[in-house]
Amino acid sequence: MSRFNPYGDSSGGSSLAIAGADFAILAGDTRHSTGFSIDSRDQSQIADLGDGLFLTSNGFSADAKQLVDDLRTQIKWYHHNNNDHKLSISAAARTTMMLLYGKRFFPYYVNPIMIGMADDGTGAVYSFDPLGSYDREPSRAAGHASELLMPFLDNQVTFANQLDPQTGEPRKRLDLDLQTAVDLVKDAFTGAAERQVQVGDTLEIVILTKDGVDRQYYDLRRD
Amino acid sequence: MDTVIDQLPKSVDAAAALPACVNGLPNFEFPSIDTPSAFLRAFTDDASNPDVPIKPQHGTTTLAFKFQGGIIVAVDSRASAGSWIASQKVKKVLEINPFMLGTMAGGAADCQFWERWLGSQCRLYELRNKKRISVSAASKILANVTYHYKGSGLSMGTMVCGYSEKNNTLEPEIYYVDSDGSRVAGQLFSVGSGQTFAYGVLDQGYDYNLSVEDALTLGKRAIIAATHRDAYSGNSCNLYHLKPTGWVYHGNYDAAAEIWRLKEAEGSFNDIRTK
Amino acid sequence: MQHTQEKWGRPRDDVYGPYDASYLNSEPRTQTLQPTVTGTSVIGMKFNNGVVIAADNLASYGSLRRFIDQERLIKVGSETVVGVGGDVSDLQTIEEIMEGLEISESYDEPAQSLTAPNIHSYLQRIMYKRRSKLDPLWNALVIGGFKNDEPYLAFIDLLGTTYTAPAVASGFGSYLAIPILRKLVDREGDQQNVSKEQAVDAIKEAMKVLFYRDGRALDKYSLAILSKKDGKPDVEILKDVRVENQNWSMAKQIKGFGTQDE
Repeated sequence: MSRFNPYGDSSGGSSLAIAGADFAILAGDTRHSTGFSIDSRDQSQIADLGDGLFLTSNGFSADAKQLVDDLRTQIKWYHHNNNDHKLSISAAARTTMMLLYGKRFFPYYVNPIMIGMADDGTGAVYSFDPLGSYDREPSRAAGHASELLMPFLDNQVTFANQLDPQTGEPRKRLDLDLQTAVDLVKDAFTGAAERQVQVGDTLEIVILTKDGVDRQYYDLRRD
Repeated sequence: MDTVIDQLPKSVDAAAALPACVNGLPNFEFPSIDTPSAFLRAFTDDASNPDVPIKPQHGTTTLAFKFQGGIIVAVDSRASAGSWIASQKVKKVLEINPFMLGTMAGGAADCQFWERWLGSQCRLYELRNKKRISVSAASKILANVTYHYKGSGLSMGTMVCGYSEKNNTLEPEIYYVDSDGSRVAGQLFSVGSGQTFAYGVLDQGYDYNLSVEDALTLGKRAIIAATHRDAYSGNSCNLYHLKPTGWVYHGNYDAAAEIWRLKEAEGSFNDIRTK
Repeated sequence: MQHTQEKWGRPRDDVYGPYDASYLNSEPRTQTLQPTVTGTSVIGMKFNNGVVIAADNLASYGSLRRFIDQERLIKVGSETVVGVGGDVSDLQTIEEIMEGLEISESYDEPAQSLTAPNIHSYLQRIMYKRRSKLDPLWNALVIGGFKNDEPYLAFIDLLGTTYTAPAVASGFGSYLAIPILRKLVDREGDQQNVSKEQAVDAIKEAMKVLFYRDGRALDKYSLAILSKKDGKPDVEILKDVRVENQNWSMAKQIKGFGTQDE
């Protein structure tokens, strides 16, 4: 008898986002793989949704594509119905939840992360589970290397459970400056590419500030 | 034209479209096979198979109890996907409206989605009837939904807490509602993988005549005990106090720090040795 | 719902029945879902002025060489070729769908010409829709053509998974052909330095290696060469191309099979 599994292997690499006081960063590698085969070294996984919103969804890439297409449609209709009023990231996040939960009983196999600038001008990162539960967070990693990236972010962004060597008091979380955050992202990915076979080739970073969008590319290991 | 647009709320969250409704309930797509719930379970039940591809966030200790000063609601903040700590700061108390709280245990998405949906149903009730919905009615709406979907794979254990008008006075009410369709009124509940540990503390310290301060301390103490013994609970405790005038948030307490403070303050947790 | 610590919130066996992992490779409700008559790999690569795609002419029935003149390259519109691997009856369904698309698009006045990205997107929607109905078209597709005068090459599988790359291949091709093709085009942009002749030679070499090692391959294949001439697309589909200069001397080195003395 035949067998058909509607979910493919998780084909994206990994992605990572950091929110700052006046910026937000979303980064992902461009490797697309099936099992241990590298399909493409140049497949961007960062989707530009318009309205200053960017999304990655690691997991089964056909589901991820469907989610992005549906979100774009929702945003387009929102513009038609509201005289091109810009969709805020909080509303976009809620819409994403509705799309994910609408497939509660045949779920999308995705772990989405969305970035944008919040209404108060601060950088915003929203992360979702495959069924749609979501929250705004200071930083988040998803995909094959999330278990390598996330502890690094806990250590370097949130300073979780660390004492200040001078005072012996718990170390306070500082608002990162943009350059430090970008450097952290690069370090995180070079490290992940070192230990995770599905991560590599090129690192794509989208940097969001009040002045606009900046895209940067860096080489990663290609083996 | 612009003036009209300027009047739009800054954040139009209501723009998010619900799945199309059938019989007043959102309609969901099911996989086209004979046994969709077994299909769903095969891909999502990480307790039976640690290798499932889709791991919903799980695990919790939540509690709520009535006392002379109202209702205390206390919860932890850990979400785990398998043995992976998916989030350390989940908000497990969902603010349905300024007078009603719902707690979240089980599938994070199920609780978040349905309790938000419940919030909108409660608001519609207010608009139609010019009065606030009772906790018993609100919890019944939720239980009707969980009963409707019984057997299709929802996972939620929630306490709907608030004040209802009864005989012209406001009375506190707690209803436990879960995804089996159960709905039980009571004055003390703990729900989640760490419920037994929390009950241990609650049952030995609970008294209806507790002062507000002591009641808050007890709620927090029970959660800390559960974070200590239940691997799937932890990180921090969120505390709420419900009064006839609405709920009051009493802060977030780091579980790691709280244990050391409690050990010193009350001479407890003596299994943890220090040099 | 279970209420014990380890399994809190999870389904109860007495309500849902025991956990059944077989759904991870689940049975469909109705349709027959196994490929019967199948085509093997499709391969493609870009060069500085276009795209080359190849697929052999064999339709296998299990291990039987059932049909040896099956065309697996479909020209769609005026400047796109779709190569199809996998189930041949589903290939014919795709052929019909493409025909329908061409007809409905030709109603427009002036007629719009379908581009490779259009067809890629359309086919991806179809493949994903069918997988979501748990009734997939059991195929792997390679789409070659142009996007704004630049070469365009994409891949879609039976789940709707898709990607673009300067070299793509399905089936055994992803193990045997890709390394040969990536010698010329490893990353996007490398095709700028590859001529049509180099690309055709690489594809021919890859088809030879596939014939050597893929037990479901044939040494007769179709080769589509899409290029731009004076800014206009030129699609050339060579049929009955043979794997040339075959060298089976290595066969003698293989030990352990058949009736050998040693």
